[in-house]
Amino acid sequence: MMIQQTMPMAPTRERPDAPVTTPGKVGDHTERADGVPKVKGEFEYSSDLWMDGMLWGATLRSPHPHANIWSIDTSEAGEMPGVHAVLTHEDVPGRKVYGMEVPDQPVLAWERVRYQGEPVAVVAADHPETARRALEKISVKYEILDPLTDPEEAMKDSAPQLHLSGNVLKRIRILHGDVGAAKADVVVTGEYEIGMQDQAFLGPESGLAVPDGQGGVDLYISTQWLHIDQDQVAESLGLNPEQVRLTLSGVGGAFGGREDLSMQIHACMLALDTGRPVKMMYNREESFYGHVHRHPARMRYEHGATRDGELVYVKARLVFDGGAYASSSNAVCTNAATFACGPYDVPNAEIESHMLYTNNPPCGAMRGFGAVQVCFAYETQMDRLARELGMDPLELRIKNALKPGDTFPFGQEVPPPAPVKEILERVKDMPLPEEEEVVGRDLRRLPGGVSNVTHGEAVKRGVGYAVGYKNIGFSAGFDDYSTARVTLSVEDGEPLVAVHTAAAEVGQGLITIEAQIARTELGVERVAVLPADTRIGSAGSTSASRQTYVTGAAVKQACEAVRERVFEKVSDEFRESGGDLAIEGRNVVSGGRVVVSLAELVGAEEIEETVEFHHSETKPLDENGQGNAHLQFAFAAHRAVVEVDTELGLVRVVEVATAQDVGKAMNPQALEGQIEGGIAQGLGLALLEEIQIKEGKIQNASFTDYLIPTTLDMPAVRMDILELADPEAPYGLKGVGEPPTIASTPAIVAALRDATGQELTRVPVKPEQIVGIAEKPPSKPPQPGSSGYSGIGRLDEREEH
Amino acid sequence: MPAYERAELSAELKVLPSSEAERSPREQIEVAKRAASDSGLAREAGPETTVLAGGRREVLEATMKTVEAALDAGAHAVEVKVEAEGESERFGGD
Repeated sequence: MMIQQTMPMAPTRERPDAPVTTPGKVGDHTERADGVPKVKGEFEYSSDLWMDGMLWGATLRSPHPHANIWSIDTSEAGEMPGVHAVLTHEDVPGRKVYGMEVPDQPVLAWERVRYQGEPVAVVAADHPETARRALEKISVKYEILDPLTDPEEAMKDSAPQLHLSGNVLKRIRILHGDVGAAKADVVVTGEYEIGMQDQAFLGPESGLAVPDGQGGVDLYISTQWLHIDQDQVAESLGLNPEQVRLTLSGVGGAFGGREDLSMQIHACMLALDTGRPVKMMYNREESFYGHVHRHPARMRYEHGATRDGELVYVKARLVFDGGAYASSSNAVCTNAATFACGPYDVPNAEIESHMLYTNNPPCGAMRGFGAVQVCFAYETQMDRLARELGMDPLELRIKNALKPGDTFPFGQEVPPPAPVKEILERVKDMPLPEEEEVVGRDLRRLPGGVSNVTHGEAVKRGVGYAVGYKNIGFSAGFDDYSTARVTLSVEDGEPLVAVHTAAAEVGQGLITIEAQIARTELGVERVAVLPADTRIGSAGSTSASRQTYVTGAAVKQACEAVRERVFEKVSDEFRESGGDLAIEGRNVVSGGRVVVSLAELVGAEEIEETVEFHHSETKPLDENGQGNAHLQFAFAAHRAVVEVDTELGLVRVVEVATAQDVGKAMNPQALEGQIEGGIAQGLGLALLEEIQIKEGKIQNASFTDYLIPTTLDMPAVRMDILELADPEAPYGLKGVGEPPTIASTPAIVAALRDATGQELTRVPVKPEQIVGIAEKPPSKPPQPGSSGYSGIGRLDEREEH
Repeated sequence: MPAYERAELSAELKVLPSSEAERSPREQIEVAKRAASDSGLAREAGPETTVLAGGRREVLEATMKTVEAALDAGAHAVEVKVEAEGESERFGGD
């Protein structure tokens, strides 16, 4: 149950600054207040938190993906000098499980561990190294069990049951039209696979818990949703939510990976047990075990079309690996099902979406949230269909593009604006980057870059297109809302607006937009956005590309309420008509004439309003997967140009061009950053990023082995921004954070296919797939010693290809 | 997107095993968990604790069966806490 408002309590740690910013209204290029401090290394991230006398927490994790626990002996660790607490499941004061959707995940494991890295015990010590050594002194007796790592196997009756409810976490079916009766001239089928992508945020999980001396605790934390953390932490501590107060600390990226809990409950347990502040901070390796990842998926598709390229039906079977615990997998399963046909007018559809428990790392929210996986599959299908029909793939897409008034396969009418055709035409019309002579080129602009491995003999260019879409905001009946408090006061003779919400700034630029909205609505230059915390009602999560819409609307409405109060005061005191009044800078004016200065009008008072904004109601899907489930839809199209060394499997993405409808470019500078960042993450999934798992164990828990794109991998981005206002949304805006990630991946892979002729049905695409030896080794394997293979084994004998 | 505890009804059952029963305390708890598992509504919430979540009737029926199974296995007592979720329908709960 969501807590609307928490009791204001005296904070036990000095509150972070709320810098006053000045320029920038809605639509202006506005510099972010946190930009310069971040670049200069002066920004305080949660990993920088410090209090005198604080202890360091550390977590003992299971080395096994599946095992019974027969005993846990903490006695030796507890006796170590400098160790202040060693806690296990027996010490969890309240509910021993947590979870955003289904509370199925142990705070600390008791009898069984279900994934490698599952927390078993926590320690607090006076030095991080002492805490680490204490973990080594905890003796846990495991009975190792075979891990269940294949979701298809997990579906079988013969599979070991990982949870009391079975291994099937969610099944959803969408039935639209009558697929059985649909007649198609051309049918294409395909099977596609997505690897497990990590959010790869740069700031590992960290936070500081401070006991208040009265049984409660203050937690300073980097998270995406303060109030759902508060609810879950309080439940497991056996406290009232008012006794658990959260303040947002500097967040080093999130992308969904901070939507669920990591060390929140553990740090609070240790702080309450020891009576001392406790800081916990994961290192990079631990971070890979400490948060959920993007769901791997296997997807089987069948598309039927008429001879002239009209889609007749789509059938899809989607199987997602949810990993060991639920997190937000149920919603991902639903999202994937609803978007499984893409932004196309499909008269008949039959979609099955399955979410399974396995002993792999838990998966959950990540940028794109189910829409990413299916987009790769349906866009590859569209290319295959075009090939089968002998049509231009872009023309096929345009021919079938959804438009307002059509019906989505899940039964909802497509609301305006839905410019699918227009964004496809725009990327089609953008000029292609000029081809550059390969020989003699700067190495950094060759496939393989400065590794200097290609000389251009087999380099080919390819071009690929894709389009995708996704919902904005929470769906399927969730009461999605945000709370904002706006205060107008006078400081040193100058009007100042303070904006307070619990919305998490995770790097996307929300606090800048909150200030822009306040300046736009109240006409006052100086705005301070207060630190987000639970002293105000929930803002919901910074996810689903929703904060500018939902919290933006709450701030806008709170500003309007403050403005109304100002005008009432002017009307009362100066007998001026409210209709002609406006606030301009320091004054209230009427028809350009200054009526009174805000300093004089407000004086020592404060004018404050708090507003809770709820977006319009959505509905759960019915048993056939039909319903008005989503609030808003955002569309983006991408064109990728690549160069590929077809002998070595090396890739250079030359350019990604995109057209995206954003409704209103609230802060064009931040918008461009979102689009470029989203494309970087899409490129990562296309070419580089995968958590390698063998028998349930992560093989590459570091940024040395888990590869994310660098500036050298990033291409030039050409963008065309459409501002087609959504009449339901504040300022007409649409969420912008996720769409750039969705279709950029299939566009890049389509370009690789264009260059190589390979099918490429799995991402990330590996060099051996590009050169066509992934399934079949070359007929003449290289001779050991002749090509450097002798040290690592012959390619056709290595297991990982 | 969260759907936090939106079932119409949830029942938390904590089995208090007897040390004097024929079956071991661990077995008594396991029997109860198996009975809960058969309902398809169960999840573990602690070494002795199971939560049943779903529609009102099915949760109450499963609760009865689980309690009976625990007592038949020799358990000394079963602590039961039943909670209704007022807004489950709006949130798409069972």
